[in-house]
Amino acid sequence: MARIEINHVTKQFGSLTALDSVALKLEKGQIVGLLGPNGSGKTTLIKILNGLLQPTAGNVTINGMEPGVGTKRVVAYLPDRNALPDYMTASQLMDIYQDFFEDFDRQKAEAMVDDLGIDRRQAMKKMSKGTKEKLQLCLVMARQAEVYLLDEPIGGVDPATRDYILKTIISNYNEDAVVIISTHLISDVESVLDDVVFLKEGKVVLHQAADEIREEKGESVDKLFREVFKC
Amino acid sequence: MLGKLLKYEIPAMGRKLLPLYAAWAATALFLGLTTQSADSKTEFMVVISALLYTAVATAIFVMTIILIVQRYSNSLLGDEAYFNHVLPVSVSAHIGNKAISATLWVFVTVLVAILTAILIGIGAVIVAGQGFSLREMIHDLLSVEWPEHLGLYIIEVLIMVIASVVKTIMQIYAAVTIGHQAQNHTTLASIGAYIVILIFESMVGRMLLPLFAHTGYCDDGCLNFTMIFIPGVIVSIALSAVYFFICKYLMEKHLNLN
Repeated sequence: MARIEINHVTKQFGSLTALDSVALKLEKGQIVGLLGPNGSGKTTLIKILNGLLQPTAGNVTINGMEPGVGTKRVVAYLPDRNALPDYMTASQLMDIYQDFFEDFDRQKAEAMVDDLGIDRRQAMKKMSKGTKEKLQLCLVMARQAEVYLLDEPIGGVDPATRDYILKTIISNYNEDAVVIISTHLISDVESVLDDVVFLKEGKVVLHQAADEIREEKGESVDKLFREVFKC
Repeated sequence: MLGKLLKYEIPAMGRKLLPLYAAWAATALFLGLTTQSADSKTEFMVVISALLYTAVATAIFVMTIILIVQRYSNSLLGDEAYFNHVLPVSVSAHIGNKAISATLWVFVTVLVAILTAILIGIGAVIVAGQGFSLREMIHDLLSVEWPEHLGLYIIEVLIMVIASVVKTIMQIYAAVTIGHQAQNHTTLASIGAYIVILIFESMVGRMLLPLFAHTGYCDDGCLNFTMIFIPGVIVSIALSAVYFFICKYLMEKHLNLN
């Protein structure tokens, strides 16, 4: 049984087809790049995996379970927006994570927050956009989850922080977990990816190991992405 | 998990309402003080303090309703839902959490309203130079000859009010959840859903009224409050359950956060 199974998932919003019979099996112990231009269906797929959207057809399973309380215990999700109560401080948000997630490592979260120079006593609403994103990522990556779903984790931060985030992802993820990173900033994440999924207009156009792409096609994932998604 | 949710939800509403309660208490005391000390020259102060008191009271009642809608809508169907719905908590616990917290704050608001009325009285007594004694007030209250079974009636009324408040809150939640099924104009759709729910309730009321029309009277024609109370509470609980399951079903099977 694969850690994540996506079985011919279709999602329609009115007449718009956001996902068109997407089928994927993702095993543990890898970092997967879910790559595609804006509007290709990356966020939709991640939301379906979290149970925040319901597929029009098909289904998804994580550890053999459909999204629900059971999967939420083992999935760490970084959304593409600030979803945390913004009147709370970093310290209070850590309290919430500690209360609800058994796999949350508070010491690790505090260390990451301190490394990034985030004031633990500052309310989130007083933080800059980038700092909010960093804080959310610290909270998510401080979990010892089995699945990490990171939706545009490096989209709104400066290059130095990008490096820190990618380093954090690599150093925190364990061999028992699968990390899915959704982004269109390929060159920044390419070095950490084991597996690559290209999504184009809601369809999977490529699913291959990153090393195989480089060996077989003789080019980087970034270059291939530019060819596939050329306007 | 419900306990953990309440641990965060109750203070989340309180942080908005508590400062308003403090302002309300201050305006009540000010009203009490000005009412007693007013003469022809300071009469305008009474008008101003009465206006202030009314404005703050209105603001608090409106704010309580807005908060009930906002806390539910933002937390379970808005941006914060991206966090709340990935917590390992059942949908039932989420809805229950919101309903319990909202009910609690409605009653705190009512309690504060009663306290402000007492504060107006205390202010007036202080200015009149009579001095205020809590012990004396309690003694006076205890020495009054209360009607028989008053305690029972108070409990019945309290249960009926709680059931009715919970039903109204669940009614609002159901309307908001149904409204969010629309991809656009969710607020308008929620208002529309609320109107439909009100029509539905009125139809249910019309159907049930003949069944209970004669139960509210004793054999000698007197009004039997208990026989009015029981059907009222049953209907409120049944409707609350219907609205709860509408919310639960839609969130479990048709949650579409965009």
